Amino acid sequence: MNRILLFVIGVTVLAGCEFYEQDEYREYYVVEAYLVAYDPLPDIILSKTVPIEEEYVYSDASVNDASVEVRLLNADSTINERYTYGSGGEGLYYPTESAAVQEKQLYQLYVTLPGGDSIEAKTYVPGDFETVNRQELPDQYRYRGDKQIEITTTRSEYHTGRQAYYVFTVNAEKPDSTNLTPFYADLVGEQERSLQNYSVHSSGIINEGNYSPTPEGNITLKVPWLSIAFYGHNEVVTNAIDDNMYDFLRSQETQTGGFSLSPGEIQNIRYNINGGIGIFGSMARDKNRFEVLRPPR
Amino acid sequence: MRKTISLFLLLLPLIVSAQQTASLSGYITDTQTGETLIAANVALQGTRAGTTTNTSGYFNLQHIEAGTYTLLVTYIGYRQYKKEITLEENENRRLVIELIPKEYQLEEVVVQSDREQEEQRSIGTAQIETEFIRTVPSVFQADIFRSLQLLPGIKAASDFSSGLYIRGGSPDQTLILLDHTTVYNPSHFFGFFSTFNPDAVKDVRLYKGGYPAKYGGRLGSVLTIFNRDGNRNEFEGSVTLGMLASRASVEGPINKGSWIFSIRRSTLEPLLEILRKSQDNIPDHFSFLDVNGKINYDINADNKLSMALYAGNDNLRFPFAEDAGVRLHYGNQTFSGTWTHIFSEKIFSNFTVTGSRYFNFPSFNISGTPFKRSNNIYDFSAKGDVEYFRNDRHEFSAGFWAGLLTLKLHDKFDGDQTFSSRTHTPYGSFYLQDKWHITDRLTVTPGLRINGFSEGRYLRVGPRFSLEYRPSAGIRLQGAYGRYHQFLTVDSNEAFTGFDVWLTADEGVSPSAGNQYIVGIKTSPWKDYAVDTELYFRTMEDLFDPDPFLQDQAGLPYEKTFRFGKGYAFGTEILLERQAGRLTGFAGYTFGVTRRKFPGFNEPVEGGTARYYPPKYDRIHDLNVVLSYDLSSRWSVSAAFNYATGQAYTKPLGRTAAFNFPTSATSKQQLTVGKVNASRLPDYNRLDLSFSRDGTFWGFGEALWQFQLVNVYSRRNTWFYNYDLDENPAEREAVQLLPILPTISYTLNF
Repeated sequence: MNRILLFVIGVTVLAGCEFYEQDEYREYYVVEAYLVAYDPLPDIILSKTVPIEEEYVYSDASVNDASVEVRLLNADSTINERYTYGSGGEGLYYPTESAAVQEKQLYQLYVTLPGGDSIEAKTYVPGDFETVNRQELPDQYRYRGDKQIEITTTRSEYHTGRQAYYVFTVNAEKPDSTNLTPFYADLVGEQERSLQNYSVHSSGIINEGNYSPTPEGNITLKVPWLSIAFYGHNEVVTNAIDDNMYDFLRSQETQTGGFSLSPGEIQNIRYNINGGIGIFGSMARDKNRFEVLRPPR
Repeated sequence: MRKTISLFLLLLPLIVSAQQTASLSGYITDTQTGETLIAANVALQGTRAGTTTNTSGYFNLQHIEAGTYTLLVTYIGYRQYKKEITLEENENRRLVIELIPKEYQLEEVVVQSDREQEEQRSIGTAQIETEFIRTVPSVFQADIFRSLQLLPGIKAASDFSSGLYIRGGSPDQTLILLDHTTVYNPSHFFGFFSTFNPDAVKDVRLYKGGYPAKYGGRLGSVLTIFNRDGNRNEFEGSVTLGMLASRASVEGPINKGSWIFSIRRSTLEPLLEILRKSQDNIPDHFSFLDVNGKINYDINADNKLSMALYAGNDNLRFPFAEDAGVRLHYGNQTFSGTWTHIFSEKIFSNFTVTGSRYFNFPSFNISGTPFKRSNNIYDFSAKGDVEYFRNDRHEFSAGFWAGLLTLKLHDKFDGDQTFSSRTHTPYGSFYLQDKWHITDRLTVTPGLRINGFSEGRYLRVGPRFSLEYRPSAGIRLQGAYGRYHQFLTVDSNEAFTGFDVWLTADEGVSPSAGNQYIVGIKTSPWKDYAVDTELYFRTMEDLFDPDPFLQDQAGLPYEKTFRFGKGYAFGTEILLERQAGRLTGFAGYTFGVTRRKFPGFNEPVEGGTARYYPPKYDRIHDLNVVLSYDLSSRWSVSAAFNYATGQAYTKPLGRTAAFNFPTSATSKQQLTVGKVNASRLPDYNRLDLSFSRDGTFWGFGEALWQFQLVNVYSRRNTWFYNYDLDENPAEREAVQLLPILPTISYTLNF
């Protein structure tokens, strides 16, 4: 009897040792670049992570002596064209020649680091799309009036045949606190949130599957009043994002908030970058400009 | 091979001939109320003949030699029943034995037989008395789940959660049955309390693991709760006034039966009104209500009918900012109708029809943009359980459970339907089990359960086996194995259960499965003391959880909305219990480890395969000491102390940001982490005290004052760490659990 109890206690004490130890901090190279269909090739930012306990000073974290190249790839992943980048200092790299990003093409980022290591990532630029009913839409809308902004666009295609993933962004032209709509005025005034948070204001990821296609195969996107943080002129941007931005956004937002994981559980962001972390994403977008009028008093 | 052995064990007894002798059967009831008593112990003194009552309060002893015996019946909190009986050859005696409650007995100490707590100490099983629930210190009000959380092997996610995390399993891995009916979200106040009103409850039994073939459908555990039947002898009632909620219960006899009706409602309105005058962001309305009802009718000695009803809901109306508000209405409704039929002296049966509905209707309206969700589960079923007492060696049981499960989920955003799904699936199961007393010392219980689930067309076979060997009177060696399947999962959060969405297995989404292995030793080393130890190991395969990274599931194939993984858990539980005397209570220690692995999660940043990691609720060491002492005939004091290893959390190691993210005016902060949940919060400890004073209310009835102090020394235990990345360097803030909380309640029984 006593032996059995001793055995149980012994097993318990042994098994009580924690074999799942916390890792030490490890430094990673960080890239940041966004390709937009039919926009010029973007600048690229290169930096390093900083331990969580230390102050983050971007100039100290930036990486300046790397060799950066963006490549337009063929369908078989062979290189079609190379775009070299020059260093602008402070971790900023700019294309040495002007070129427009092509829709429905595969691009590769290739960075050779000062120590000889490399970073590599690929992005497929989503198919461009356009608003087909802009002429029918008024330029002005009364905030929370009878009519909402309803944009009908063509579809954005993706090479895997997947549905489009959208993010809607509203850029306020005059993000002044006197122009805030009531909900955001409360957040800024009473709850002391930063006004800057809402000057560029985006939805979460919204799947194409939420919308019924029109007979022509287009989709109609209704802009909710919730997305309007400021009265006045607003640029409504519809973004169709690539897989890298999709993975980055959904995992980054889970990491810094949300209810889908237990409080205190933090998972790494899905970067889709070899040899480093960050984002090398792409998107197609379409912009429309409207004025949102204050409701009658 | 394993299936062949199981079948052999099941069929072997059929070829064993039985000798016709006398039998003894009947019901054990409370003499004061007529309530049947579940798991009461029945024995013939000086023989090995003994058993316990089933969930209908029925017992059966077969194959008794004719002669004169002393019949002993014991039950916790009741005076021992002892009577001499003489059984003739081929006599089938049926009795209704009435036990006298403890408060009516003259002796201070409850006399207990050797077979006391037989059922409660079966492998993997725990039972708590309703009296324990009512007297143990608890946050604001008596609560069944929070009382269960004190037992070894059962952990709480936090002070704010009544969820049951049993032997490494999440709450959805526990099947919760109220009067045979599945309850899908047994919580009030978004998980703070459980839905079960302690005034209405008769029996709470938890199969922590290795549960028998009678039950199925969950990977981990089964919690069965039976509401009281009501007083068959006289009308009586009780009223309890509490700080958070008040409750009332009335019951009484009807011709050949009884009824009971209980109601409980939160009473937060005055507190909210006061808070509203001094603080912002106080809900306009926040309440819960639940009602329980039951009616019983005995058609004759062989046939009984029972109908039970439960309805509960929570309501929240909260304008959390200017031009923004949230409403939430959620709850459960259950119904069951049971026909208890005794076919013969050897065959006892229960047939039940059940109905269960869970719903939640959250809605937000922010800046004139409404979001509405309608989430309903309807579960209608019929089940039957038949017990065949073939002889004194074999107790066969068999049964079925067939039902129709409907899950409906509809989302509307800004007036447009954005998501709509309806799952309508039949399910069914069948089980067979034999409790085989091979010798006086050795009992084995082989069983087999077959589960079918229409959605995805899954058929799963789950063998079960348990064994008990008694080398001496005070020692029971036990072991159990079972394979379990689960066809459902829940999208929930430990901090907030009001939005729970249940999802099913389907094509491409296999049901989860798992094995459980348990060994235990139950000892009674000294009079009135028990020391129980169990070791368990569980596997979890094909776990399917909603993908936490998925923001929008519209347009995605069903199987793409999940992450699939596996896990395991193992541990040891030790329980030291003092069962009688002025000082009673227990000390329970649990050593437990649980791990999960999901591809795409907890992978190294630089790439590689997913690693196992502990969920947040994993605690390695957990010690609970619960003591109750009768200071005098009127005063008693209870104390509950908990010490536990800090829960797992993920310590961020590095940071960076996406500075120019095109859809954001501010930088998108990024954290880099190593192993997920590889760090531990500070150890948890808390002491709660409860003082009770019995008295009378002007001769009108018995009264009870309860004064409780939760977290006596106001230790601010840590719930989790929040990292403020707006600060540079990032600042860590500890989000704390409950401070010291005094509560008072007054109960009047009339």
